[in-house]
Amino acid sequence: MLDFTEEQKLAQSTIRAWCAQHLEPHVLKLESGEMSVYPVMRELAGTFGIPDMARAAFAKMRERREAAKEERPGTGFKGLGDASLMAILTMELTRCCPGFALAFGATLGLFGGAVMARGTPEQKEKWALPVFTLEKIGAWALTEPGAGSDAFGSMKTVARKDGDGYRISGAKTFITNAPFADCFVVYAKMAGAEASDVRAFIVERTAKGVATSAPFKKMGMHASPTGEVFLDDVRVPADQLLGGEGAKNARDAAKSSLNQERFGMTPMCVGIVDRCLVEAVKYAKTREQWGRPIASFQLVQEKIARIYTARSIMYTLLFRQLEADKTGTPLTAAEASASKLYCARTATECAMEAVQLMGGAGYMTGSVVEMLARDAKLFQIGGGTDEIQILRIAREVLESP
Amino acid sequence: MKILVPLKRVSDPDNANKIKVGAGKVETTGLEWKPNPFDEYAVETALRLTENGTNAKARLGEVTVVTFGPKETETTLRAALATGADKAIRVDTTDDAIDGDLLARALKALVEREKPDLVLLGKQQVDGDANQVAQLLAEYLGWPQATFAGQITSEADKALLVSREVDGGSIKLRVTLPAVVSVDLRIVNAVGVTSMHTPPTHKYSDGVRFAALMAIMAAKKKSLTEVKLTDLSPDTALKIKYTGFDLPPARKAGVKIKTVAELVQKLKTEAKVL
Ligand SMILES: Cc1cc2nc3c(=O)[nH]c(=O)nc-3n(C[C@H](O)[C@H](O)[C@H](O)COP(=O)(O)OP(=O)(O)OC[C@H]3O[C@@H](n4cnc5c(N)ncnc54)[C@H](O)[C@@H]3O)c2cc1C
Repeated sequence: MLDFTEEQKLAQSTIRAWCAQHLEPHVLKLESGEMSVYPVMRELAGTFGIPDMARAAFAKMRERREAAKEERPGTGFKGLGDASLMAILTMELTRCCPGFALAFGATLGLFGGAVMARGTPEQKEKWALPVFTLEKIGAWALTEPGAGSDAFGSMKTVARKDGDGYRISGAKTFITNAPFADCFVVYAKMAGAEASDVRAFIVERTAKGVATSAPFKKMGMHASPTGEVFLDDVRVPADQLLGGEGAKNARDAAKSSLNQERFGMTPMCVGIVDRCLVEAVKYAKTREQWGRPIASFQLVQEKIARIYTARSIMYTLLFRQLEADKTGTPLTAAEASASKLYCARTATECAMEAVQLMGGAGYMTGSVVEMLARDAKLFQIGGGTDEIQILRIAREVLESP
Repeated sequence: MKILVPLKRVSDPDNANKIKVGAGKVETTGLEWKPNPFDEYAVETALRLTENGTNAKARLGEVTVVTFGPKETETTLRAALATGADKAIRVDTTDDAIDGDLLARALKALVEREKPDLVLLGKQQVDGDANQVAQLLAEYLGWPQATFAGQITSEADKALLVSREVDGGSIKLRVTLPAVVSVDLRIVNAVGVTSMHTPPTHKYSDGVRFAALMAIMAAKKKSLTEVKLTDLSPDTALKIKYTGFDLPPARKAGVKIKTVAELVQKLKTEAKVL
């Protein structure tokens, strides 16, 4: 696989046309909070038949489950069933509004993905399916006020056994979709057990003791609601322990979700850089100074060439990642981190370069690149900061014989 | 109902600034292609006529899309198949080798082969803008025609009541099938198409539909056949000769007017309309 197939390209142009008609006109309102992202998400899903796809995939899963009488965890529907299609969708949504893509990715990819990866068949049916059909919105809550990069070591949220269920107390922060989500995957330490013994729970907003903050104001990703989740002695039935009673330590599960998130960030970064290139080229060709288009100045050309080069490399990384997924040979931690590190840094640089190329016009709200530049910065922080990626790369490289 | 819809790709009208004229011809390299919007409206119309809008997946008729072009124009056909068309035909040729008249003659032969009840076309291509194929085809077939349809009501799939906007109102024509109809933009309004298959309470959304992702992936399984132009029309002589192309002159920059008095003054002295 070195390119998308004809069908995938058709899907891409169809999604792009939808975005131009149904997302682009709302971006400023989504960014200001005047309009909620979720109805637009549902419209998107309905238009492209995502609920039908999910139901069909679940029906097949059920058949297979009945035939085999058991189900390996991690099998079944993943997002759109096809990683390339999911990447294309993510890329196209990001080209138009990264915040929208982030909120969409958090419910389907992070919440839905976590339940599909570790959930029991019953949990997949009850919690993941309604999220894939967009009837419910999910959030994935690992980070805490005191636990960011050291998410597990510093984790304060605790779960105590309570009869046949659990009671959870703690707080989560910087959680995408938290202010509006119907359900949460919450990571907590088991009280009394070893300090590093972490479990994941499915928590419903309606459970007593759950509260969320209003959306935070932030530098970028304005369309994506980010907030806190407070858990005050929340009673969680046993069947909401992700993976069931036999669930192992959820650290690996959380790490695989983080890998998933890193994967999702590559197409988002490609989307940002691709849009920056389009906007920069368009502007450079039409803006005239000193009596000619600024595209004729070599310092402007350098910026365009730089953004183009970044896009070429990012596409290669994206295809490498999709190929690895397809053949079932996962990237090593170092390679996944290297890819995320490069994409995040480069997307931020490119978007800033695009602003620079467009001068005052690029600095104005509504110029697209102004939004992209603020939004790109998130990729250097979320899903593990640049520094954490560097540590992971160095560890693997230095430890290998 | 069986409907045949001719469909053509055109250079993206939103990127008209990329068009260059060289050696008396429009240069096509580097252009981005899009289905002709009016043809997309024709496909949408055909789909609405052959389905129950409340359950669009069950097809109640057959829509065949046909394009005239080289191999790469199959993308345009696949896109139509993805939105719901049932089968596709590509007549192998190039834009240079056809004109509106040859197209109409070839379509006539295709109609005789495919035996549709209705040929639905876009009112014109946004590249050549000739607006003649529907009319010529109806004449060659000896079928009734209605052009620039803004609204179509199927009368039990035996006849169509076709409404066309004119200054100050609309003209309504009843055509008995088989017929040739060309469509205008308004046809894809929510109430553009009515038929007995879709309950009147069903609301379409304005515009053409987007293909579902699964349908896009499944479109390659639908039938797409290739036909030689000479199989349809042994006589491939052209009646229209393009003698030259010119780009429209670049627009001069406008002026900002500060007062109404100044506007009136300019309308008098410069525009000379007062
Ligand atoms: C918009 C947004 C959405 C988010 N969505 C979610 C979500 O849905 N779910 C979720 O669980 N989390 C989410 N997060 C949280 C995100 O994952 C964390 O912000 C991230 O992991 C970093 O943690 P921190 O912010 O606490 O920074 P800290 O860990 O406090 O880091 C501060 C600085 O110290 C550096 N640093 C830390 N440790 C080291 C070290 N060992 N060596 C060198 N430098 C170090 C960091 O790189 C950083 O520069 C979101 C964040 C944002 C901004």
